[in-house]
Amino acid sequence: MMLQQTGSVQLLCLTANSGVPLFTRGACKQLPFSIIGSLNGVHMFGAGQGVVLGGCETDRGGRVVWRVFQDSVMLIAVSAGRHAQQGSGSGDSGEGDFQMRRLLENVWSCMVLVLGQDELVSVRNVERLKRDLRSCYRLIDQLLEGVQGQQSTMGDLTHCGDCLLPTNPALLQEALDGFTQAAESEFGCLMVHGRIAAATDKWWRLAPQEVVLLSALARTLSGSASCDFPVFLPQGSPNVAHRLLRFQLLLGADVCVLCGPSPTLNRAESELVGRFWSPVVEALRGTLAVGERCLPGSVTLRPDVLAVLLINRESRRSVSCVKTVSAHPSPHPCSPPLPSKTRCWELLRLFFTFSATRYFPLEETPPTLALTPGQNGHGEDTESLQEDFVLGFFHQPLQCYLVTDECKCYGLQTGQHQLYLLTPLSVPTFALRSVATETLSALTAAKGF
Amino acid sequence: MAQILDPGSIVVDDWHRSADSREFFSRILHKKKRRNFGLLEAPVMPPNVSVDTVHYKIFISGKSGVGKSVLAARLTGLKIPNMHYETTGIETSVVYWPVKLRESGRVLFFRLQLWDCGENALRRFDHLLPVGLEYHKLAHPYNNKMALNCTDSVILEKIYLIPIFLCVFQSCKEQVDAILFLFSFTDRVSFDDLTNQIARGTELCDRVVKLVVGTKFDLFTHTDVTEREVTRFQEVSGLPVFRMGGDVTNASNLGEVAPLLNCLAEHLWHQDCVAAMAPAIPTHPESAVYMKSTV
Repeated sequence: MMLQQTGSVQLLCLTANSGVPLFTRGACKQLPFSIIGSLNGVHMFGAGQGVVLGGCETDRGGRVVWRVFQDSVMLIAVSAGRHAQQGSGSGDSGEGDFQMRRLLENVWSCMVLVLGQDELVSVRNVERLKRDLRSCYRLIDQLLEGVQGQQSTMGDLTHCGDCLLPTNPALLQEALDGFTQAAESEFGCLMVHGRIAAATDKWWRLAPQEVVLLSALARTLSGSASCDFPVFLPQGSPNVAHRLLRFQLLLGADVCVLCGPSPTLNRAESELVGRFWSPVVEALRGTLAVGERCLPGSVTLRPDVLAVLLINRESRRSVSCVKTVSAHPSPHPCSPPLPSKTRCWELLRLFFTFSATRYFPLEETPPTLALTPGQNGHGEDTESLQEDFVLGFFHQPLQCYLVTDECKCYGLQTGQHQLYLLTPLSVPTFALRSVATETLSALTAAKGF
Repeated sequence: MAQILDPGSIVVDDWHRSADSREFFSRILHKKKRRNFGLLEAPVMPPNVSVDTVHYKIFISGKSGVGKSVLAARLTGLKIPNMHYETTGIETSVVYWPVKLRESGRVLFFRLQLWDCGENALRRFDHLLPVGLEYHKLAHPYNNKMALNCTDSVILEKIYLIPIFLCVFQSCKEQVDAILFLFSFTDRVSFDDLTNQIARGTELCDRVVKLVVGTKFDLFTHTDVTEREVTRFQEVSGLPVFRMGGDVTNASNLGEVAPLLNCLAEHLWHQDCVAAMAPAIPTHPESAVYMKSTV
């Protein structure tokens, strides 16, 4: 069994009715215009016959996925299969499709986030739209990196907020609540190493995808001292902009608030940042020290765990971590080398996708949000990311495992959680279940995640 | 118009090269790179050395793509992105720069907060502003023509957006101490527009330090602006002009940014002294420090 990686991805954006190219991102070598035209043409041909062309696979392992949003913009993602020569059963197409469809969904949402839905749906001037779309590139490029496994976050795929569990959550939560209120907002979020360390209740009530995209946006802005960024909320407020204020408290620790016209960036920075955050600066440093492991020191993972992803299904939060390989020497010199850290992130993403498309479908956005009139009125927008395969089951699978030639994977589902685990090949397959259940209880007991 | 000071007349020129500055400059470096400070952080000196920090707000002005964000990254010593991304909204960054005053020998940390505004992004929302709002013109240095072409129905439709973006503009102009006017050596239009740009910027606030920075100076093969023109502009406008560009070979090599930062510090300090002592000539520059928040 191979877990196939989505190769380099190229993203094309065209106007849906006239096929005018709006932008292309990704892959250094751009597709020739004639191919872009054909890709658009074949979709249009299908539409003329009353067929919606969703995706296809080339005989060399490449994959193309189409989707039209709001009858105005067409996004096409083209991926070159990296392990094309190894070939694979048709069963593998699920993962690639799922990732690519998520990508298209996220890219559209990110365009709405930056430009607002009106500007994308009622296009008055294509040249102006092209220019305005440039503001989305930074975020789109980050999403593309994510699909190619170059990011150590999973939110774009899981649509669950990537979290970091702080050592002293109560103190930080209190500071955040106070700060958010003083900034005349109810939506506040503290991010450490690009993950959510604390957020207000209202922040968690944003649509999961919005939480994920706002985190991604905050990551693209990291480095500067403060920002004032106009944002639309793809689900909650697609046509009225809010302001995302972001302040870098310490290197790697940022606080964000979503607010209306006031306060000004100047005022929030000079009057509020110091007042609320100076007293907890030591707690912030402590949280920074948690590092990319995302788990406080009190949580110990078994030594035979390579990587783990835990999802809280109710709150749509996730915590994930990949152990550094150096702390993890291969037990036997003759056994195959352990996958690198980057590869572990890729494998974790692939295993999540594998399980999510086959066994553990993640609940999509609650219907109350998804069925807002005018937003999801189009049949295409409500398409399911699940495979038909899942629908054939009479029962809900609770556990699954997979042995690849790089690692072993185990998935576990309970009423509240989903756990995805990677172990080295040296762990006997029969022991995987106990490793997984032990890890789940260690993670949930310690922090009540 | 403010007086142009010769380099080294108030602060010690090239101080970063002298041995006695090492203790101070080491506080803004970390592992041979510039240290990036969060808002809750500042350079920490040993307890026996007390150094005051003076805060200033610097607005970076220039058309889209001229290199505002790159200049900000260069001055703060952050990694310069290898691709041009449009700035949407406002991004600020902080530079700490130690300066030694010539007369008193006193050392100060200048905390310069650079304000970088994505012009296109603001313009996108700019047209939503009703025509004839004078305060809008004041609030935003780029008074653009699109507002005039805007139909009334669009204005009415979008009127709810106004407060948010007015507030963004106001945020930029509130208490600005200096403006860096940018032009690009590879873009003739940006150079020709400098005079207008400066006029608009000055209308914004009266008491402000003005410097001109030419970006992409390294791309001399594509240059659109000759050296003679720049010299002439400098003579006519009476503003200091700096040239920036090229790869940063070594972030801890402060030589590239030192002339600009020293010049900025010098003029800011002078401006404060003049304001504190007006109309008399400053005799005790130290007293001016109390005008600004000292840390």
